[in-house]
Amino acid sequence: MGSLRCRLLAAFNACLALFVAPVCAEESLHQRIDQKIAAGLANYDQLAAPLAGDAEFLRRITLDLTGRIPPAAETRAFLADKSSDKRTKLIDKLLASPEYARRMQEYFDVMLMDRRRDAKVPGAAWEEFLRTSFAANKPYDQLVREILSNDGADPKTRAAAKFFLERDLEPTIVTRDISRLFLGQNLQCAQCHDHPLVDDYHQEHFYGIQAFFNRAFLFPDAKDAKAVIAEKAEGEVSFISVFDPKKAQKSTPPAVPGWKPIGDPKLEKGKEYTMAPAKNVKPVPAYSRLSKLAAAITANENIAFRRTAANRLWAMMLGRGLVQPLDFDHSNNPPSHPQLMTMLADEFAGHHYDVKWLLREIALSSTYQRSSEGSPKSQNIPEHRYAVAILKPLSPEQIGYSMMQATGLTDVYRNELAKTLTEPTLQTKLAPNLGPFRQLYGAQPGEPEDGFASTLDQTLFVKHGNHVRNLIAPRTGSLVERAAKLAEPSLIAEELFLTVYSRLPADDERRELAELLRPAANRTNTLTEVVWAMLASAEFRFNH
Amino acid sequence: MKHCPYACHTSDHLVNRRLFLGGAAAGFAGLTNPAAARELAASQKRMLVIFLSGGVSQLETWDPKPNTDTGGPFRAISTSVPGVHISELLPLAAKRMHLLTLVRGINTAEDEHGRGATIMLTGRRTEPGLKYPEVGAVAAKLLNTTTPELPGHVQITPGGGSGFNKEDAAFLGPKFASVTLADGKPPADLPRPAILTTDADREREAFRQKLNAKFAQSRRSAQTEAYTESFEQASKVVAKANAFDASREDPKAADRYGRHDFGRHMLLARRLLEQGVSFVKVSHTNYDTHHENFDFHIEQLGEFDRPFSMLLDDLSDRGMLESTLVVVMSEFGRTPRINDRYGRDHWSKAWSVAMAGCGLKAGAVVGKTNANGTAVTDREVNGGHLFHTYFRALGLDPTKNFHPAGRPIPIADPKTSAITELLV
Repeated sequence: MGSLRCRLLAAFNACLALFVAPVCAEESLHQRIDQKIAAGLANYDQLAAPLAGDAEFLRRITLDLTGRIPPAAETRAFLADKSSDKRTKLIDKLLASPEYARRMQEYFDVMLMDRRRDAKVPGAAWEEFLRTSFAANKPYDQLVREILSNDGADPKTRAAAKFFLERDLEPTIVTRDISRLFLGQNLQCAQCHDHPLVDDYHQEHFYGIQAFFNRAFLFPDAKDAKAVIAEKAEGEVSFISVFDPKKAQKSTPPAVPGWKPIGDPKLEKGKEYTMAPAKNVKPVPAYSRLSKLAAAITANENIAFRRTAANRLWAMMLGRGLVQPLDFDHSNNPPSHPQLMTMLADEFAGHHYDVKWLLREIALSSTYQRSSEGSPKSQNIPEHRYAVAILKPLSPEQIGYSMMQATGLTDVYRNELAKTLTEPTLQTKLAPNLGPFRQLYGAQPGEPEDGFASTLDQTLFVKHGNHVRNLIAPRTGSLVERAAKLAEPSLIAEELFLTVYSRLPADDERRELAELLRPAANRTNTLTEVVWAMLASAEFRFNH
Repeated sequence: MKHCPYACHTSDHLVNRRLFLGGAAAGFAGLTNPAAARELAASQKRMLVIFLSGGVSQLETWDPKPNTDTGGPFRAISTSVPGVHISELLPLAAKRMHLLTLVRGINTAEDEHGRGATIMLTGRRTEPGLKYPEVGAVAAKLLNTTTPELPGHVQITPGGGSGFNKEDAAFLGPKFASVTLADGKPPADLPRPAILTTDADREREAFRQKLNAKFAQSRRSAQTEAYTESFEQASKVVAKANAFDASREDPKAADRYGRHDFGRHMLLARRLLEQGVSFVKVSHTNYDTHHENFDFHIEQLGEFDRPFSMLLDDLSDRGMLESTLVVVMSEFGRTPRINDRYGRDHWSKAWSVAMAGCGLKAGAVVGKTNANGTAVTDREVNGGHLFHTYFRALGLDPTKNFHPAGRPIPIADPKTSAITELLV
């Protein structure tokens, strides 16, 4: 990669003393990730799980980068491929695929919008904005600047204003979510006083962010579905700590936590507005505080922005952040690997926030490619040491797409589309089937989707619901129908395991299936129940 | 906020597993030893909320003001507690006043339906950026149920759709969110569909367990455990689906409660409480009587009085009232002023709630309003005080904290406290 930064690093790196310079200078980020992870645990190399097998790797990377399990044909081809660089080629192929942009669109939609209902910006327009951004590999800082600088007035770009508009510019919620999503600091508890548990989070930080948009409001009003963001030329935030017995009233100009405030220019009296406020008129101030927000958040000196960005992409791939919880970055909650956190953040910024580059480097690391199969020696190692790959529950979208792929519905649609098959035409057919999965497995609107819960309604949906039963039901080209046509139980086992689990069955699994299929009566019914059991199993529910 | 990231990776599911195992043992004891089961059922704490939706009139129920400008046409009648009078529209409840406890000095200062309901159900006013769990979710979480085969938080609504809700448990997580039985019917996916035979169900479950056992040999976490266990738990609920079927109750009981929707819903509530459900809320609608307040209250309370009284009798006769807290609430009361359509409008400044059972002084009345009911004159309380009182009555400490995402949030509003003079 040969960037200036790498050469500088190489020049100062102690390893120069031991190895010849070119090797060190050539070291890619993924190699350095592995070094930092290994340095995080004594005897890491002896204790860590081996690299995942091809099938395990294929399923994991396909879920992470395209949001669904691989079709059986791809699994067969990948397992048969004997080339030594097939994992690298696969990563590059997936990153270049249209499914990658869809997956990122869905992941960032949930992250940024918390499944809020569409009131002011149609979901489709926002999704298209995200999807095309990721397809074009728009630098992440640019994406965030577009989101934090749009007032919704231009219909062509209004979608980007969804972050503000769907929150009705509600000051508490917008401040909390900017701090949480872009700075990795959940300042909600610093709203009424300095954070009681976190020394680094101060009340003035909360109001410093809020001061960027305390003059902004929705015009004509928040109830209007076509509302746009307008701004006044005056108004200061004021706050009192509830812990302060003197009840001293304080204020702050706009400021990103830890950085010097943005000074408001002194405006001549009478020249505060280019469009003065009046009834039914959208005012336009001569100086806009809100216009300073996007640049201040994404500024190069604001290390919190790049740390949070890199940490969230790391968490998407690895199943937990280096800083965990993702929005709790402060000095008493250090990253599991502090140097790695700094390195990832700096490299991401140094590569102009190139999302595909960072994901590719993470995917190429042995850390990412480690097996999720634990052993007695790895049993007591905490998951944040990354000795064994973390089991990640599938997202609501991943469950839906994967069930459609596993049962064969996606292939049925592919066949139907034939010559008109593209990612968007296929998506049009798949999307309506996703609704119940989002409804049941997604967090409630406005709540962050973190953690994991397995609830009765989800389980009953899988056990008794029509939706899952209809997905499994045999139809031309579906899994049950394909498997029922095979005579040899061993071939049936292969078809089922390659399609649902993206791996070949083990010998005992072949035997068990043969036994289940021995009674001649109604093989289709038996296969239906077998496929159900596989879909309902933990091996399917988790990305492992 | 929904799931606590700390809890999920630590012991939450393990605790749940222990509970679940404990429950299984209790279920077994129940089968072999009915007396022990009865004892267990009697000691387990539960809560029943009867929500008179739309805002019941305090003047036509618990705080009548006959012969005043606001009193309306109905008389006040004496009750089984000397000196305590309630509206003549509740003749059966009047005979059971010695089981009841009244709070007559409520001022919730919120006249809008949704926000009023939030105050009464969460014990707090609406706040931007933070949702509080409803009383049913809190009860389901804090009252360790001995039969986790059934959901701990159930609500019976007059209509709408049956199903599982997410939002009313807020940060406590969906495990404690309510199951709605609309018109008393269970959610569609609860009973095993006819197309799935018992044999097929058993076979596929066995194969699923086999697959999971194999996976768990080398890959397991608190999350995979919780996931695989959720199927075992669901099977138990499905096996107990009859608990949701009030038609299995004695027809004589149905006659006593009244052959109408609310009577049937109250009988179902009794059945669920007996089966060990921690919290049941029954809604009765509609008390939003901007027009013809008096006619509507004759009709509505005529339907309410009998099943409410029968349920009190049954809980009392079965020894369950000591362990069951019963609360009759609304989102607010109704204006003392009678409008020109013979209606009463929304009124939150001076109204009443009736309670009974667990942890309360039976027959007590706390709080007073002035002669024509327009203001509280003694022991004014709001939704926060009531919320504290419910959990104190249930033997819990509502000044303790929940810790969603590591942040301490008091169970009940710390600006208020329990109405201790009502507590035993």
